[in-house]
Amino acid sequence: MKRSPWNLVFIAASLAGFAFASVSTHDFVQHLDRQVHSITCSFLPGLATPAMGESGCQVTLMSPYSSVFRTWLWGGLPISLPAMAVFAFLAFRGIDLLVNQAPTARAPRVFLVAAAALPAVTSLVMGYIAMNVLDAACKLCIGIYVSSFVALVAAVLEWRTAPSAAALGQEPEGEDANPARSHAVSVGQGVGFVLIPTLLYGIIAPDQTEIVQSCGELAGLEAPAGVMVPLDQNAGAKAAVEVLDPMCPACRAFEGRLEASGLGPQVNRSMVLFPLDHCNWNVGQALHPGACVVSEAVLCAGDRARDVLSWSYAHQAEIKDVATAAAGPEKEGEPAKERNARVDAAVTDHVSKAFPDLKACIGTPAVKKKLGDALRWASRSQLPVTTPQLYIEGRKLCDEDTDLGMDFALSRLLSSAAATPSKEATP
Amino acid sequence: MKFGLHVGIAGASLLVPSALVSIWVGGAAARLAEAKEAPTEKPAVATAAMADEGYCSADLKKVLRRVLQSCGLVAGGRGCQPLEAKNVAAMAGDDFNALFMPLADRAAILQFDKESAELDPGDLALLDATFADQRGGSYFFVVSRASPDGSAEFNRDLSQKRGDAVLSHLRQKFADPNNPTAFNGELDQQVGLLWLGEEVAQLDSQFCGWKRSGAMDAAAAPADGTASTAAPGEPASAAPACAAEELNRSAFIAWIDCRL
Repeated sequence: MKRSPWNLVFIAASLAGFAFASVSTHDFVQHLDRQVHSITCSFLPGLATPAMGESGCQVTLMSPYSSVFRTWLWGGLPISLPAMAVFAFLAFRGIDLLVNQAPTARAPRVFLVAAAALPAVTSLVMGYIAMNVLDAACKLCIGIYVSSFVALVAAVLEWRTAPSAAALGQEPEGEDANPARSHAVSVGQGVGFVLIPTLLYGIIAPDQTEIVQSCGELAGLEAPAGVMVPLDQNAGAKAAVEVLDPMCPACRAFEGRLEASGLGPQVNRSMVLFPLDHCNWNVGQALHPGACVVSEAVLCAGDRARDVLSWSYAHQAEIKDVATAAAGPEKEGEPAKERNARVDAAVTDHVSKAFPDLKACIGTPAVKKKLGDALRWASRSQLPVTTPQLYIEGRKLCDEDTDLGMDFALSRLLSSAAATPSKEATP
Repeated sequence: MKFGLHVGIAGASLLVPSALVSIWVGGAAARLAEAKEAPTEKPAVATAAMADEGYCSADLKKVLRRVLQSCGLVAGGRGCQPLEAKNVAAMAGDDFNALFMPLADRAAILQFDKESAELDPGDLALLDATFADQRGGSYFFVVSRASPDGSAEFNRDLSQKRGDAVLSHLRQKFADPNNPTAFNGELDQQVGLLWLGEEVAQLDSQFCGWKRSGAMDAAAAPADGTASTAAPGEPASAAPACAAEELNRSAFIAWIDCRL
């Protein structure tokens, strides 16, 4: 009896989904060594172009949605790993249907539809998150979504077009003889397919408990008044100091990850402003033009410092555009001071539109002195010239742990800090 | 359905993801262990430090060190008198002034009225702006002078009063009123005073193009108090009239971006 082609399509879609999920898992797993790696970003798994930086793939991989159980394992369990297992299971069921089941068997085909629905529904959820929450398109993820839907459609067509045993006057046999039992066994197989690689991952993933607590401590220098700006109001939580630049995209992303982790209420942060701009003598050139002005605005805001910081995070791209436009094309021989003054004036105007009452304060000697105090405190404390930096009760969250490993590392630092009474944020 | 074939296909299908996971995780764990064994291979991240600009020549640092040790900042006293300053600098007045030429962009000259040690609003605005622009500077130098009118003794006292007026304003304006002896007690550790009277290192016309409060008074002070009149290095003619005696009724102020 001639077999329908839809099962072959189903197998091909399952294998394609497996390939996409595998490349995504590989990208994730290689970060377990705590190094920086390029991320695959291509519709052709294996023929990928590495892409660094703020690509959709990077955003998706580093987002809180790329893995689960993040406080149990460093980085958590990548969701692409169960996806790999599910596609491997679908491929197994498709191949088994092709070479080991009767062309009229109904139960395996019905199960195929149910099993294919799982990645399709998951794809709908993840696609919604990517579009509406992350605002990022990941090519590998799109590959998985497409594979899932093709597999589901092929499974449905395979089921609907398969000849019926009853129509052929045959008695139900094999799995069709007891469909309920057959489905129960199939579900068990599927669970096993997901559990085995997942447990294996959990068992062999390197334990990073010690490493995440070995990245140094604050020197404990006394900070001048006004250098530590309250960021959280979490009474009873562990005191923490965050060194940040309001124009730094990594700081904004870190804030989002901290919020998504649910660990935010366990820390009571004070921020130290460390703009990587011309007012900071530790940077050779302005990395984040306008950051000095925005930092001054945060310091001017007093009790509303957090509001100004949140506004700057939300409008980073816009502020950067204003700064770039004010700087204009680089002119030979133009003193950096003049260029910086233009940028500062334009950014001051922009910030003042959102917070008119801060205009009189930005740029005054008093606030410049305060910002200078923060920069000098950081210099005397010999902090690394990087943002963000988070110190829990004086102990540093490793730079390598500010993205994928943040939940794990933060929970370990909080646990170790729990053994000691909470200190005031001001070191 | 052949059960053996079914199990075989299932086993092979399960083996592939499990093997890949083992290989990838094992590889990452090995690299992690390797990095732990050889931590020096990790690229170094720059560490924040106080500024140490290119103009901090060996000679300048030598003078700074002597001034800091002999004129109070290190020893706990406050200020150097003209003769002490002369000995500390161990060089001629012109050479002494030349050391500060690279500070044109950072320094300002507060010009006082004749026989006065009072800071007027223009002086205060320029002093506040200059002091607030500390950046990574470690030491704030106040070198006060007097013009050669009157006796040397009178001018010595007058220049000391001018230096003291600057320090007094800084303490009032920038020390933390709630906690004056804590971190901001450091203000006293940062401000170095030299009063030179009329005897040592008088300023000459090459300083006319620097930021001067007297020039600002003459040209009407900008609203922001930044007091910029002529860019450093610009011809003196670009600034309002600048007589030697006016230039030396002054306090030269500057943050020094040198690590000693």
